[in-house]
Amino acid sequence: MAEILAYVHKDGFFHRLHPFTKIAFILLFGLMSILTTNLVFLIAMVLVVLVIFWCANLGKEVLEQFKLIAIMSIVLIGITILTMPSGETIGHIIPSAIPVIGGFVPITTGAIEFGLVLTFRFMILICVFQLFVISTQPRDIVQTMERLRIPIDYTLMFLIALRFIPTLQIEGKRIHEAQVARGYNPGAGFMGKLRSVAPIVIPLVSNALARATVLGLTIDIRGYRTGIKTRMREFAFKRRDYMTVCAIVLTGCGYGILLIQQVL
Amino acid sequence: MIELEQISYTYPHTAQKALDHLSFSISRGKCVLVTGPSGAGKTTLCLASAGILHHEYGGKKEGTVTLDGKEVSTFGSLSEVARTLGIVFDDAEAQMIFTTVEEEILSALEYRGLDAAVVEKRLSTIMEKTHLTELRNRSPHHLSGGQKQRVALAATLALGNDILILDEPTSELDERATSRIVEILRSLKNEGRTILLVEHKFEHFRDMVDILVVMENGRITAMGKPEEVLSDERIRKIVVADFSGIRSGTEDKAAENSPGKNPDTVPIISVKDLVFSYDKVQALDTISLTIAAGEFVAIVGENGSGKTTLVKHFNGLLMPKSGTVTIAGKDTRVSSTTELSRQVGLVFQNPDHMFFADTVYDEVAFGLKNLGITDMDVIIRAALEEVNLGHTSALYPRWLSRGERQRLAIACVIAMQPRIIVLDEPTTGLDGNEARLVMEVLKRLQQKGHTIVIITHNQEIAGNCADRILRMDGGRIISDTPVRDA
Repeated sequence: MAEILAYVHKDGFFHRLHPFTKIAFILLFGLMSILTTNLVFLIAMVLVVLVIFWCANLGKEVLEQFKLIAIMSIVLIGITILTMPSGETIGHIIPSAIPVIGGFVPITTGAIEFGLVLTFRFMILICVFQLFVISTQPRDIVQTMERLRIPIDYTLMFLIALRFIPTLQIEGKRIHEAQVARGYNPGAGFMGKLRSVAPIVIPLVSNALARATVLGLTIDIRGYRTGIKTRMREFAFKRRDYMTVCAIVLTGCGYGILLIQQVL
Repeated sequence: MIELEQISYTYPHTAQKALDHLSFSISRGKCVLVTGPSGAGKTTLCLASAGILHHEYGGKKEGTVTLDGKEVSTFGSLSEVARTLGIVFDDAEAQMIFTTVEEEILSALEYRGLDAAVVEKRLSTIMEKTHLTELRNRSPHHLSGGQKQRVALAATLALGNDILILDEPTSELDERATSRIVEILRSLKNEGRTILLVEHKFEHFRDMVDILVVMENGRITAMGKPEEVLSDERIRKIVVADFSGIRSGTEDKAAENSPGKNPDTVPIISVKDLVFSYDKVQALDTISLTIAAGEFVAIVGENGSGKTTLVKHFNGLLMPKSGTVTIAGKDTRVSSTTELSRQVGLVFQNPDHMFFADTVYDEVAFGLKNLGITDMDVIIRAALEEVNLGHTSALYPRWLSRGERQRLAIACVIAMQPRIIVLDEPTTGLDGNEARLVMEVLKRLQQKGHTIVIITHNQEIAGNCADRILRMDGGRIISDTPVRDA
């Protein structure tokens, strides 16, 4: 089973970059995608991100996210259509051909466009974050966050949150199987998903809480929180990092100029 | 090294004492094995000995714990206690914080204030000692239970402390993985480390245990050299499971009562040329098998040999890649899982994966509601009586002890009255008495005409309870032997 947001042990160019460089990259792409409302520019950014994934030898990993992204985009566009009608009306969700109730909830170009902007924005944010997480060993994330003087407790919290996503995913599947074996059939579709909540979520959360206790004790007893740290096997800032950072800074400047001149 | 004096402890929000005026001590270089029924307070004893009760938990405490000559309450924090001892818990998964084996051990080493060169050297020594060198780049999700447990042990060894406390490190492991842990612990003991071990598998550790402790209801009921402790018949039954006579005592009746009077002629499960693979890994390799109605079959084999994958085909959780699985004359591919769950009840290894209701009674009712059975009360009470849990029907399932939870899981399935009952490792984490109780329940069910299939690592169980033993290896059935009493 594919695991969400777990570190993937591979040798790609993104793996070899210094975590700082990667964080700079996330910040740049994150900021650019949030500040931009230009649809064409966002699509171009998505393509760039996909090319980076492909170059980093992580093409397969990004494709696995697309189901989630597709669902998200439908929901987002649906919400904008319902809540932010603007521009031309190109149709209605309830077709006007139906008498009495027909002709309501207009589908407008403005809403669709804004929905797409949101979709691509989230897509970029999700993908760059994923790129960072799956290409960086948690140990290096811890080291980098220590260098940035973020307290160790916060770093560990972040780390555990990431670390347990795949565990919960696997556990959820086991619980589902155990309930299905008891003749449990929640049915398909939205209502089915809704009905399935209690028998799956309650064991999942109860087990996670028990597990959290053990995990907390383990962290304490291994002395992660107070020990004096030996600095070893740390990433060195290499030529490729300088080059990447240069590229990031240049892109950032170029983007800034375009933004000020209101091209975007 | 560890000294407990008159320790009593009551968890917050409970009335009953988890530990009740308990005293014992372990001297340097000795190995103490603690065993007893589930819910006797063994884990609490581990927490007390590690000083965790005095630092992390609320609740009511009495008495003193001394570690290496220093009273635990005088330590500043748990991290300070961590300089004297290491503790390994039974849930290996929860103790893996990082994403590769090497990273896990290295991270524990880095916080010791050592020189980088020393750290590298220790890292390779520890990995060698725990046989993890080849797995160094694997992620925890791709490790077996035994491997995970070795990583947790390795990360604890990285602390370099002389006292080791282990809480059921082998509970979910097969024979081979267990003997690896035993071997590692034996060499650690020979290095002079002090080991406090909570275990149900006393037999595996017999030659390295100096003192055997038996706990019941928060008290120590026997303590001393293993031979002396085991000379008491009642105590011996707790420590060493005895399954003798489970089959032979009931065989005659079984033959009379079972609906398939001549079992060999009525196949209820029939598997033909079954092939199954996860992604690219082949898990089952052309398996053919028939199980007759009323048979008691044990499937044995190492972890990863395909046992669980095989039984998941019986109730349609998995579908064959090729070949067919026929249950009571019907191909699983054309039946829904709900339909199949009327025929096949599957009890998984970890009962905690299924409990969600507020009471034991409602938990059993869940399966019946799914089958659309309305007149449930009689059935539920009968199912609970069958597993000796009638008195618990109003309790919250997760408050039960491990042994009781295991029996509740069985009750949930038998209430649905499937003709076939499949159990994956039904005796995990149970003491001798509890394990025997579970096997007796299963034997009674067989007499009532159910077909029983169990997966087990335990040769004793397979040999004493089943009519037939299937051994699996590498996705194939390598032997199929009937068992007869001499």
